Amino acid sequence: MNWKSVIRAVCSVIFVIVTLFLLQKLLVPKYASDVVEGNLIAEYYGEEKDHDVIFIGDCEVYENFSPKVLWEEYGINSYIRGSAQQLIWQSYYLLEDTLRYEKPEVVIFNVLALKFDTPQKEAYNRMSLEGMEWSLSKVKAILASMTEEEHFLDYVFPILRYHSRWSELGEEDVSYMFHREPVSHNGYYMRVDVKPAENVPEGRILSNYQFGENALTYLDKMTALCRENGIRLVLVKAPSLYPWWYEEWEEQVEAYAEEHELLYLNFLELTEETGLDFSQDTYDGGLHLNLSGAEKITRYLGGVLREECALADRRGEADLSRAWAEKISAYEQEIARQQENAKRQEMAEEEETTE
Amino acid sequence: MKKRILAGVICLTILLSGCGNSTKIIEGDVTMKESDDRTETGEAAGTQQAPGTEKSNVSEPSEGMAGGTAEDEAVSYKGYAFIHDGAVIEMDGEAAAAIEQLGDPDSYFEAPSCAFEGIDRIYTYGSFELDTYPRDGKDYVSCVIFKDDTIATPEGIGIGDSVARMEEAYGTGWTDRDGMAVYEKDGMKLCFILDGEEIVSIEYRSRVLDN
Repeated sequence: MNWKSVIRAVCSVIFVIVTLFLLQKLLVPKYASDVVEGNLIAEYYGEEKDHDVIFIGDCEVYENFSPKVLWEEYGINSYIRGSAQQLIWQSYYLLEDTLRYEKPEVVIFNVLALKFDTPQKEAYNRMSLEGMEWSLSKVKAILASMTEEEHFLDYVFPILRYHSRWSELGEEDVSYMFHREPVSHNGYYMRVDVKPAENVPEGRILSNYQFGENALTYLDKMTALCRENGIRLVLVKAPSLYPWWYEEWEEQVEAYAEEHELLYLNFLELTEETGLDFSQDTYDGGLHLNLSGAEKITRYLGGVLREECALADRRGEADLSRAWAEKISAYEQEIARQQENAKRQEMAEEEETTE
Repeated sequence: MKKRILAGVICLTILLSGCGNSTKIIEGDVTMKESDDRTETGEAAGTQQAPGTEKSNVSEPSEGMAGGTAEDEAVSYKGYAFIHDGAVIEMDGEAAAAIEQLGDPDSYFEAPSCAFEGIDRIYTYGSFELDTYPRDGKDYVSCVIFKDDTIATPEGIGIGDSVARMEEAYGTGWTDRDGMAVYEKDGMKLCFILDGEEIVSIEYRSRVLDN
C-alpha cells in the first residue's frame, strides 16, 4: 500500500462521514413552523448562564410562567428548561446538565410529572432529549427514558431514526439545517389568544393514586442534588385545570414537601391570590395559560421568591439589564405579532360569515 | 473511483429508502408502528354467554341492528364493544358514526395535545364518557368510561357489581394491574377498577392509551 492509496482511503472515509453528517442535518426535524416546542431544550445553550432561578418540568412550566415578569418586576434572572411531557427523570438529568454550566439559587419543579412512573412516548422523549448537548447526563437521560421500541443508537445517530423523512423534506429543512430562530422567551412559550375554560371533565377514578417508586426516587435525587449544591428546591403545581390533579396526589406532594422542608405552591388553590380568571387567562380551555394568565401567576411567584428565598434584585447590573432590554423588546414584538395575526384571522372569519 | 462512487450511491439509496412495514413513525401525539401491532391475548374472555342482567337501565340494542340482541352484537364485533341506545362503540373505531347516533352530549371538552397538532375530545353522556384521539384527520375512540351504576356492559356488568359476577360474565382470565382487573381482546381492554370485591369503575380502553 503506497501513500496515494492511504490518502485516497482517508479522503473516502472523510467524504462518507461529511455526507452522512450533512444528510443527518437535513433529515432531522427542525421544529420551526410547527411543534416549535421541539427547540426549547436546545435554546438554553445559547444563553448567558447566570440565572438565579431555573424552572424544570413539562408544558405546565414553559407555558405558564414568564421569566420576563420576574425580571421586570423583581430583578430575578430566570430560565425555563421545560419541554413537552418532560418526565421527572428527564427533569432530573436536565438539572444535572444545567449544573455543568451554572448554579442557580432556586430550582422550581412542576409536580404533575410525578404521575408518570415509566417511559411514555418516543415523540415526547425526542423533544426533551435531542436538544440536550452530549454529556453523561444526556446518556443517562436517554437510558432512563427509552420505551421498549427505542434504541440508544438512534439517539447517537438520529439519521438512523429519521432517514425515512427524505420523502417529506421541505424548504424549512434546508433553511434551518445549521441554525434555528429562537422560539421562546427564556424558555417561555407565549400565546396571547383566549379560549375560556368550559366543561372541564373531572378526573376519572384511578385504580391506584400512589405515585410510582421510580418517580419518587427521582424526586429524592432531585432534592438531594439541590441540597448538595446549596440550591433551594421549590415545588409548584401550575394552575392547569386539565389533566386533573387529584386530591390524593396533592396530599402526597404536601407530605413530601413538609418532610423535606421544601416550599410547595399549588396554584390551583391560589386563584384568588393570583387573580386568575379562567374565562380570560387560558388559550386552550384551561390546559395552559395565555400571556395574561402566565404574567399573573408569575407576578405572584416573584413575590413569594423575594420573600421566601431572599433573591437579590439585579436590575442594577448594567450588562444583565442590557441583555434583558433586548429580550423584552423581542417579547413585546412577539405580542404585537400574535395580536396582529389574531386580528387578521378574526377579520377573515367575519368576511367568511358575511359571504 | 467510479466503483466507489457507485457503491456510495447504492448505500445511500438503501439508507434513505425507509424501513418498510416495521418502521415506526413519530407523528402527532401517538407513536406507533405503521403495521397493525394488535395482538391476540387469547386469555381474555368475552365470548362467553352473558348472564342476564338485573339492572333496569342497561343500554338497549337498537331494533334495526343486525344480529339480534346487544349481547350477540357485542360478541360479533372485534374486541369489546360498548352499546348504548343502539350505538355500537368500538375502541379504535371511527368516532363520527357513534357520536352522531348518540346525539348531543351533556358536555364536550377539547384537550389539545401538548406540542403536537390534534385534539383529544371528551364527550360526556350522562352515564358515561367517550374519549377520542385524532389520526390522519379523523377521530377514533380511545376509551369509554362509566360514570355511574345506571348502565351496564352488553354482558350485564355495571358499577357496584361483584368480582364474582364479573368473572361469571367474562371469565377468570383477567390480569391484576394495580387493583384493576383487565381483560384484553383484539388489542383493546376492558378494565374493572375494584375496591375489594366490588367494581367501582368500568373502562373500555384502546391500546393507544398505553403508548
